[in-house]
Amino acid sequence: MLRALRVAQSPERAAASRPDDPLQVSDVHFSYGKTRAVNGVSFSVAPGEVFGLLGPNGAGKTTTISMIAGLLRPESGQVLIFGDEASDSSGKARARMGVVPQDIALYEELSVRENLRFWGQIYGLTGSRLAAAVENVMRDVGLTERSKERVSALSGGLKRRLNLAVGLVHSPDLLLLDEPTVGIDPQARIRILDVVKAQAQAGRAVVYTSHYLEEAEQLCDRLAIIDHGAVLAIGTVAELRRLVGEGPVVHLRGEVEAERMQRMAAHIDGITLLGVDSGTASFAARDAAACSSLVRELFATGGGIDDLRVLEPTLQTLFLKLTGRELRD
Amino acid sequence: MTAILRLTLKDIRRRFARPMGMVINLSIPLVLAGMLALVFTGRDDEPPRMQLVVADEDQGPLSRFISGASGNEEAARYMDIAQAANREEGLRMLRDDDLTALLVIPKGFSAALLSDGKAELELVKNPAQRIMPVVAQQGAEVVALYLTAGRAALGDEAKRLQTLFEGEGWNDSVGVAALVATVYGRVQEAEPLLFPPLIEIETAGETATATAGGGFSPIAWLYPGMVVMGLLFAGSAQMRDLLDEAQAGTLKRLLAAPLGAVQILVSKILSTGALVAIAQAIFLITGRLAFGITWGPILPMTLTSAVLALAVTGFSAMIYAAVRTQRQGDAFGGILIMLSSLVGGAFVPVEILPGWLQTVSHGTLNYWATEALRALATGRGFGTGGDLNAALAGLAAVGAAFTLAGAFVIHRRHVRGAM
Repeated sequence: MLRALRVAQSPERAAASRPDDPLQVSDVHFSYGKTRAVNGVSFSVAPGEVFGLLGPNGAGKTTTISMIAGLLRPESGQVLIFGDEASDSSGKARARMGVVPQDIALYEELSVRENLRFWGQIYGLTGSRLAAAVENVMRDVGLTERSKERVSALSGGLKRRLNLAVGLVHSPDLLLLDEPTVGIDPQARIRILDVVKAQAQAGRAVVYTSHYLEEAEQLCDRLAIIDHGAVLAIGTVAELRRLVGEGPVVHLRGEVEAERMQRMAAHIDGITLLGVDSGTASFAARDAAACSSLVRELFATGGGIDDLRVLEPTLQTLFLKLTGRELRD
Repeated sequence: MTAILRLTLKDIRRRFARPMGMVINLSIPLVLAGMLALVFTGRDDEPPRMQLVVADEDQGPLSRFISGASGNEEAARYMDIAQAANREEGLRMLRDDDLTALLVIPKGFSAALLSDGKAELELVKNPAQRIMPVVAQQGAEVVALYLTAGRAALGDEAKRLQTLFEGEGWNDSVGVAALVATVYGRVQEAEPLLFPPLIEIETAGETATATAGGGFSPIAWLYPGMVVMGLLFAGSAQMRDLLDEAQAGTLKRLLAAPLGAVQILVSKILSTGALVAIAQAIFLITGRLAFGITWGPILPMTLTSAVLALAVTGFSAMIYAAVRTQRQGDAFGGILIMLSSLVGGAFVPVEILPGWLQTVSHGTLNYWATEALRALATGRGFGTGGDLNAALAGLAAVGAAFTLAGAFVIHRRHVRGAM
């Protein structure tokens, strides 16, 4: 993989990190055997903020989320939740956190209400507080009418809503959402996004991972782009867009040899090679004229190009620019 | 402690919300026990009867003696004897009426036996039947043996007897008297050899019943082994839930909650123990109601149940500490349970196994558990020879060791991130 561009963490937000933020992730590392999964990730999330963690499969998102949830202990670095270690055996930090895993993790044999009551009890709710919390969260996610139904009888979209509700039932101060809208219809997605926004408006800190860039742009106050276990860029959507630049990004598929692509980029004024990887190549163009020159050169040299796309400067192009890959690769 | 209780109750509620697995685990040993009970204790119906047809082509004095057995009260308890005029008619009856066998007494049978001592009987067995024709053959061989012995005892007098039967000597009263005296003398000579019989056969009409008061009862012997096997299946199915939860993602969700891994593990052990105890109660009640087995006083029974639940839970924990997937657990657990049931004496007495296998048997949980339940079922409770005490001590030791070892291994796997 040839990587032409690296973007450091946004200095504005790095400086804005406060010690009283609900979540502080400081230079954490984790390996599976000899494979380094997370390599020095740092960020923090403020109350009422929705923080997006974006990256392709294998980028290190889930490992980072697992360390925040206390499921994995960082080899080095620190994850603090309201000042307490996430993996602290007392569970004090975890009690203030709600986790919504990517997989639907529910008890299929129990009803909607029984699931919520159980998880509420596990987080210490009892009596009238428990009953009220269960009713409220069922109302919020639109499951009141289905409260007596067994989970096994629910559709995929309704299960996703219940999966979210379980993470919310105890009104956590920090919410971890790992791809909560994967595989559901647009209507159910809108409902879930509305609930997440409402949580942030209520002052809760939210960490959100997603494959859907549009969704992340719409929902998140700040984003971190992560790949190969490291944060490539971090900032608000506006800050990140500024990193993309004004010019378009040209993305190719076909017979693309690294050497030929490098020669071409060096030869054409206003063109920067972003990356070449397994039959794909990406270029950043300074402007439309540079883009035209590149396209002409490509066809003039006769290389077998199967697909060529000229992309507007969006978060998607930034992602491509930073990782050399599309988010769904 | 509250969290452990909630986790345990959640598992029990889930099991009862989807009870089919438990029903199957309980029903297999019950069905097995029922089948074995039928095999070993029989049914209350009349025993099957032999349907014999006799074709007496001889019509001689000895053939009439054989075919006349149908009038014998003792024979009539076990067989029905029909008469056929000849072999052909007998064969037709055998085929059409699905009888057991045809005994053909050929023409000249009596004369041949009484004259030169060589005669033949023919038995045609029904090939469509399995057991009763063999019984008929055995009966025919006994008849042949008696006739041969009688003929040998009479010696040359047999020919005089033949003359009498043929109707030519009845007018010679002196000759008849001499013959009677001779036969009487032969019988007297044989009497010391025949009487009194050295072996007496005593038959009892009672059916075996399972009682705690003693005496062998096949079902009281077999049922405990089936119960232990069923409990092991039920226990391992519940402990499997740990891997089910890991696969469903709920285990990770629990670990992300303010719970310790030890709390989750303890709750799994408790829910397994509770469900094993429930299964055990069902087995014991069924044993009492369906098979008439009494389990003795309440205290030894309760203590035995508690120790047995602990042991089965430990065994299940060990299985799921040793495997990585549910499929491995199902396969390994199933094989291990069946093998240990076999070696532990669930199906056959341990005493008939080879010496080395008996040693292995004493190392199995099944052996001690089955012995404990058998001790209860046969009234060998506390203070009646120490059978139950020894079995319970063995069970408790094995159960505690398994539970601790299983819990330790599972926890270590969790710490290493393997679960």
